[in-house]
Amino acid sequence: MADGEQKVSMIEHLGAGVVRAVGHYGRFARFQLDSLVASVAACFSPSTYSLIWNQMLAIGVRSVPVVAITGAFVGMVLAIQAYDQLAGLGIEEHLGVLINLSVVKELGPVLAAVMLAGRVGGALTAELGTMNVTEQILAVRSMGTDPIRYLVAPRLIACLFLTPFLIIYADFLGMIGGYLISVPYLGINGNAYWNFSAGGVELWDITIGIAKGFFFGAAIAGVSCYKGFHCREGAEGVGQACTEAFVGSFIIILGIDFVLVVIFKAIYATFWPLKLLL
Amino acid sequence: MNENNNKIIELKGLTKRFGKLAVLDDVSLSFEKGKTTVIIGPSGCGKTVLIKHIIVLLRPSEGEVYFHNQRIDDLSEKELGKVRTQMGFLFQGGALFDSMNVEENILFPVRQHSDIKDRDKLKELAKTKLAMVGLDGFQEYYPAKLSGGQKKRVALARAIALEPEVILYDEPTTGLDPIRSDIINELILKLQKELGITSIVVTHDMKSASKVGNRIIMLHKGKIEADGDADAIQNSSSQVVQRFIKGEISETDLNSMQVSFEDIKSSDKK
Repeated sequence: MADGEQKVSMIEHLGAGVVRAVGHYGRFARFQLDSLVASVAACFSPSTYSLIWNQMLAIGVRSVPVVAITGAFVGMVLAIQAYDQLAGLGIEEHLGVLINLSVVKELGPVLAAVMLAGRVGGALTAELGTMNVTEQILAVRSMGTDPIRYLVAPRLIACLFLTPFLIIYADFLGMIGGYLISVPYLGINGNAYWNFSAGGVELWDITIGIAKGFFFGAAIAGVSCYKGFHCREGAEGVGQACTEAFVGSFIIILGIDFVLVVIFKAIYATFWPLKLLL
Repeated sequence: MNENNNKIIELKGLTKRFGKLAVLDDVSLSFEKGKTTVIIGPSGCGKTVLIKHIIVLLRPSEGEVYFHNQRIDDLSEKELGKVRTQMGFLFQGGALFDSMNVEENILFPVRQHSDIKDRDKLKELAKTKLAMVGLDGFQEYYPAKLSGGQKKRVALARAIALEPEVILYDEPTTGLDPIRSDIINELILKLQKELGITSIVVTHDMKSASKVGNRIIMLHKGKIEADGDADAIQNSSSQVVQRFIKGEISETDLNSMQVSFEDIKSSDKK
């Protein structure tokens, strides 16, 4: 009898867990759908433009220094790490291809996005989470305004459109950082360095790096705003929501990156032959 | 017919469950136009949940909510937007937007729902609303610089910015000293007298309830325990009501405290 009861209780727990998980993902999907609809509507409503500008300043403009520093160090580290191996083979002049290709295709976009997940995602979740626990979001609703349209849409739009621009900054500083270490410091011939880089890095490579920015920006805003809107009460609730928002957006960024790499590679392979770099 | 016209809000068989816990259990109530109705009851009895249903910030598990004889609990969020502009909600902590100053807070609903674009007109409007709560001159202050009582008064100015027909007050005097509480009470009375606003006040402050309420309803364990004017409540034969008014703990609660206290003492001896 006791054994039977235990089994029933296990099934109950399992069932409750499944119901919770489905409910959670359902809420997440619905929130994202509502945010998408509200964002599209916001693009056509001039009254929200001032809100979007404000968010663009906070999310985009103020992130330029951290993203630029991230990019610069990525370029510099790559140059130091790869130089010895290439110099051993006598092809150190190819260092430019390696650095610039890695920066524009992968490391620039992904590391810039991770930096943004920390800086912007954390701030968004903390701000909206605090608004949530102090009933400010409820106050927006009580005054007949849709909080998703007023609070989420401007943030989502700002993140979506400015992450690609921030990636351009990260790419640019990554190239400069790589150049500074390779040419003035390691003494590689500057002309050869840039010639090999120009031959190896195509517009396609830069484009896919920047295109990833749209997806990363959407992921950061989507996850962070959701976590802020659904955080538990108290300082601990807000803190936990910030952590979950960062970890969640980080994992989603890596996942999206993998999927996009597979898709972009398939598209490239369909139209162009394989490009050998060495 | 006349009775119907006087009813501005009506709740029919309102039940709200969170999981298995029924916070409101088949509550039916109607609120009269131009009158102040106070809902009293101990913490956790469902008062705030009830008031949030009136403006449909929460949806009922069962039952219906009517505003001007129109059912509103089944409307979409978008449709509710219009209904909500006819009601003002004063949150317990004020819920002022801390990224905006006092003036911007008051003008928030105005900018969202009216076509007034002229800066001077908007400034004048904010000034009038602030003067009503006695805080003209605080326009540039941020909420963090205001005291608890001032925050509630600014929140009240924001709640009346769109000239609503109904104002819902969630614990307006909680956390304030007796003098600040009385300022809020006077404001509730003033808004009723000068603007003819219908007020619904949720509180556990009996003094405030008797002062502002034309009618007092006591809620206990999700049900209506008593309903009447201040005198009727004071003279109620219900034990629950009398204990609440006098602020006395019930025998059962007292016994359970005594038992757990003796448990601790006996386990200490061991």
